[in-house]
Amino acid sequence: MLTLLEQIDKGTLWRSHGGVHPPELKNLSNQTKIGQLPLANQYILPLPQVGDSALLAVKTGERVLKGQTLTSGTSFAYSPVHAPTSGVVTAIKPMPSNHASGIHILSCIIDADGLDEAVVFETAKVGALSNEEILTKIQHAGIAGLGGAAFPTHIKLRPASDIELVIINGIECEPYITSDDRLMREHSDEILAGIEIIQRLLSPKRIIIAIEDNKPEAIEAMQHALNRSHLATGSTRITAVPTKYPSGGEKQLIQILTGQEVPSGAIPAQLGMLVQNVGTAYAINDAVVNGRALTHRVVTVTGLNSQTPGNYWMPIGTPIQHILDALGFAGNLSSDKIIIGGPMMGHSLPNTQAPVLKGTNCILLPSQQEIADDDAEKPCIRCGECAVACPALLLPQQLFWHSKAEEYDKAASFNLHDCIECGCCSFVCPSDIPLVEYYRIAKSAIRTQNEEKKQADFAKQRFEARLQRLEEEKLAREAKAKEAAERRKGTMSGGDRDAVAEAMARIKAKKAAEQQNSAADTATAAPELDKKAQIAAAIARAKAKKEGAPTDDSSATAVPADDKKAQVAAAIARAKAKKAGANTAAETPEPQATDKKAQIAAAVARAKAKKASAKHTGTVDIDSTVPSTDKQNEVAAIDDIANDAIPSDIVTANTANTANTEISDKQAKIAAAIARAKAKKAAAKSATIDNQQPSMASDETLNPVDTNLNAKSLSDSAQESQQDTVQKKARIAATIAKAKAKKAQAKLQEKE
Amino acid sequence: MSAIVIAVVVLTVLALVFGILLGFAAEKFKVEGNPLTDQVEALLPQTQCGQCGYPGCRPYAEAIAGGDKINKCPPGGTATMEKLADLMGVDPEPLNATEEVQVKKVAYIREDECIGCTKCIQACPVDAILGSGKLMHTVITDYCTGCDLCVAPCPVDCIDMLPVEQTTKTWDWQLNAIPVKQLQEDKPC
Repeated sequence: MLTLLEQIDKGTLWRSHGGVHPPELKNLSNQTKIGQLPLANQYILPLPQVGDSALLAVKTGERVLKGQTLTSGTSFAYSPVHAPTSGVVTAIKPMPSNHASGIHILSCIIDADGLDEAVVFETAKVGALSNEEILTKIQHAGIAGLGGAAFPTHIKLRPASDIELVIINGIECEPYITSDDRLMREHSDEILAGIEIIQRLLSPKRIIIAIEDNKPEAIEAMQHALNRSHLATGSTRITAVPTKYPSGGEKQLIQILTGQEVPSGAIPAQLGMLVQNVGTAYAINDAVVNGRALTHRVVTVTGLNSQTPGNYWMPIGTPIQHILDALGFAGNLSSDKIIIGGPMMGHSLPNTQAPVLKGTNCILLPSQQEIADDDAEKPCIRCGECAVACPALLLPQQLFWHSKAEEYDKAASFNLHDCIECGCCSFVCPSDIPLVEYYRIAKSAIRTQNEEKKQADFAKQRFEARLQRLEEEKLAREAKAKEAAERRKGTMSGGDRDAVAEAMARIKAKKAAEQQNSAADTATAAPELDKKAQIAAAIARAKAKKEGAPTDDSSATAVPADDKKAQVAAAIARAKAKKAGANTAAETPEPQATDKKAQIAAAVARAKAKKASAKHTGTVDIDSTVPSTDKQNEVAAIDDIANDAIPSDIVTANTANTANTEISDKQAKIAAAIARAKAKKAAAKSATIDNQQPSMASDETLNPVDTNLNAKSLSDSAQESQQDTVQKKARIAATIAKAKAKKAQAKLQEKE
Repeated sequence: MSAIVIAVVVLTVLALVFGILLGFAAEKFKVEGNPLTDQVEALLPQTQCGQCGYPGCRPYAEAIAGGDKINKCPPGGTATMEKLADLMGVDPEPLNATEEVQVKKVAYIREDECIGCTKCIQACPVDAILGSGKLMHTVITDYCTGCDLCVAPCPVDCIDMLPVEQTTKTWDWQLNAIPVKQLQEDKPC
């Protein structure tokens, strides 16, 4: 039993399944040397052509040279795009793609300047380079498989497993195409140099250059080149393969040359094999030795509609329209098809503005006689010809039924994804069913379904992650709220509650004292007094709470507020004192009116307290307070006293400086107005006791202790008066004032 | 007589043994929840759009497993409905949605007009909107399921639902894209 390598050395060939023998029509284009094309005015370079995630390295308006990189990227699969000639980047915008769909894709448009200036190419000796350097050069040259699939070569040349056998694919089994044929005939030495580089990178045991036996000139040229090359004798051989379509397919070629079958879903590297196109070998040599990026490739232009069929060096990015113009197109653009690739596997081009790509090996311009009618599909007769022809050992009929019925999962169960879309089944079909089209539709539908499934799974994952996050956030919020509540409770039991309790105790004591005082008064007044006292107590409680809160938070930040509160309290006390003084001084018996006044005073005190808590009056607008003052003060005769009272109020307001919200401002104005009105009224009542009170008031603002004393003395004098109700009110007011004053004092002391 | 006794005893013993076996199996291999729900959910498109009237795909899957109608999922389209019909063994019903809804769309924010209110971010069921308070938002279109839920909360109406653009990778092949099907015999050239 011979080993595989021995069999290979003997030149044994295996039979591959299926295949067809379509008319070749190769001599249409392989008679002439590879020609050159005149420069186009414009080149269109889709970005990125091969590999993803590239960044643009040029800007619109920038001048680029031939071979200059247009993109930059760092990923492993990144393959750069190069300018094919010198010129100016005029636009970077979506342009028609060289794809069956003709969908616009982002492209870099270069207006050629005709100079064809190139960047300086870094030539190198292969022997002086390390393998890594060679691979980097190959990557930076943007080399991709030139057989048609355009897979980045540097990835292929960096296999995970050992490669034992390298196959150089010069089969070119598609009808019409002769680009590899011409390349092998004219550039066999360069191809062999490229093969030497591959040999160095992978050190395989054997290299087979496989060429179909319909290209005797190419086989001969390559044989001569091989003899001239530095490759070790016996390591490399040229094998002529019988002409059959599709021997050039990667898996089919491996089967023919080694008898091994690449498993479904696997790549040849898993069998220790690697297949490279001859054009790729040429490009590798050009990149490594000459330092040239992959900017040109050989393209076959053929078909009966081509006026000068042949092979041409074409800059990648050349618009197809330019090729048609330069080489002559005998057909009609609207009715005659332009096919990219061969007749078996190619696709028709919907827009002639599309460019030549790295994988474009042929532009087929068939005449009407060369192509069959489109609408000739007839029912499947179950002849089974397609199953015989299928090189992938599939059951095209079954695939067709399921694809047509859109039962894609069933089609997939018949290994639809192993279909290489070679077109043999369509070719042999007596019913002219475009089977490959059905498979392509099914494949893209399956791909879409898989994509959707993946997206759905991902969406579900994200949805669930979001739900979890929201739940966690909610829990965290609840925990935080709980913690805050506990902290509040803790502080309440500590400082706050004590302060409140203290204030309550103080008020109770005061109330008791008050009641003792009022006990001397008429008994009838008692209930009313009690009520008033309760109100006063409530006010005091409110004050205590208000003042207690800042004390808890304590520290220096509380000081301004305390100061302000003290001032406000002093002002209230002053107002009360004024009122009391007025009442006592004015001996006019107006009990009801005075009663009302006292109530107002209490209300004002409350309002002021509120204002103080609501916060921080700034400067009080005197003008705005004047109307209300006038209204309330229609009977006021003496303006002087009123005016005297105003400044003191302003002082109070001013001292209670800091930020002014609109509300507090308004409240302050109202309070000031009421206070002024009161002062005026008091002045009106006691024409004789004139300036004494305002001055006293201003004293009080400065010294709360005085206020306390004054208030006491005033309330004493009030007690002496005979008018019970008036006395009571005055007393209550005085008590409130006292409480305020005390508090203010306490605050001041605390502050000190 | 003894034969009858033996038969009775044997059958009793057998009944006991199998009873114990079954009881054990019922405990050991107990299935949590309704397995049908998972199968239904796997068919739903997971847009979490709530167009079915349920808050997400899972609740609708539960509802279907519980006997709800299968035609309430516009994002899934007729294909999903048919699969659900297959799975549930019910007759396919026409989808209660217009054709327009069935085009796959994703949200785009007109970024110039975005005021950064974060309302759409809160509405997005799959966290596909990126942004912060008073800063411009944008949709990560790859993550967007096209559920429409962000459109309504936007106070400045700067969110558009645009059809997903086709790329060369997502393009569906059409019949007769390859016109050359049959070559004629070799001709002298």
